[in-house]
Amino acid sequence: MKAMLPRLVFWCINLWIVAYTAVIGISLLLQFVGGELPCPLCMLQRYAMILSTLGAVWIIRQAQRGVLTWDRYEQDLGLATLGAFLGAVFASRQIMLHILPGDQGYGGAVLGLHLYSWAFVTFCVVILFTALLGIMAPAALPEAPDKNSMGDRLSSVIGLAFLAIVAINAVMIVFLEGFNWVLPDNPTGYALFGH
Amino acid sequence: MDIIILFLLFFIALAMWRGAPRWLVLTCWFGTLLLMIGLFRFHVTSSLGLSF
Repeated sequence: MKAMLPRLVFWCINLWIVAYTAVIGISLLLQFVGGELPCPLCMLQRYAMILSTLGAVWIIRQAQRGVLTWDRYEQDLGLATLGAFLGAVFASRQIMLHILPGDQGYGGAVLGLHLYSWAFVTFCVVILFTALLGIMAPAALPEAPDKNSMGDRLSSVIGLAFLAIVAINAVMIVFLEGFNWVLPDNPTGYALFGH
Repeated sequence: MDIIILFLLFFIALAMWRGAPRWLVLTCWFGTLLLMIGLFRFHVTSSLGLSF
């Protein structure tokens, strides 16, 4: 079991990247298909998800290159935790904005919770997860599969999917923000098209 | 500001992917963090009428 732990941790971190790629992908789907335009606080939460996941991506890439050391691993976990903490602050501000009885909240609800409430839950999960990884660190420095193996390729595909979702967001924000310095509080359309 | 933040995030992701120097990635990461905090401060214009 002890010998399997580094490999298990490697795949758990990959799973974290998959989860946040899916969450950001679903929010993009709700935006493009459902017509739910993100408010500035929603976008800040997306940035925090990306910022946090970058820590995970860095760990995986260094493990694949064989240059991951204890100090780098701990530092990257710290980056991820800090990103998640910042996201939790953004999400809690939005929850507080709509917490009073009678307030319908911003946007639609999924499984009874608004997206910013779900975002808060995911940030808490990431903070807990990185804490656990930190506790286990002495016995479980992530170990990548052999180069060009099926596992190595799968891990690269996961990383590339995350890169793609960040790129899609970068292109989308140009359309949403247009030539403005910041997003409006309640966006009604894509500013680049004159809305 | 949002455009700058997202392109910085994409740049950091690419830099990590291609194995760029650690100081460059860390500088950009913390720079983006500060920009995000600044943007949050810009959007938070009033204290909420809640009592804790």
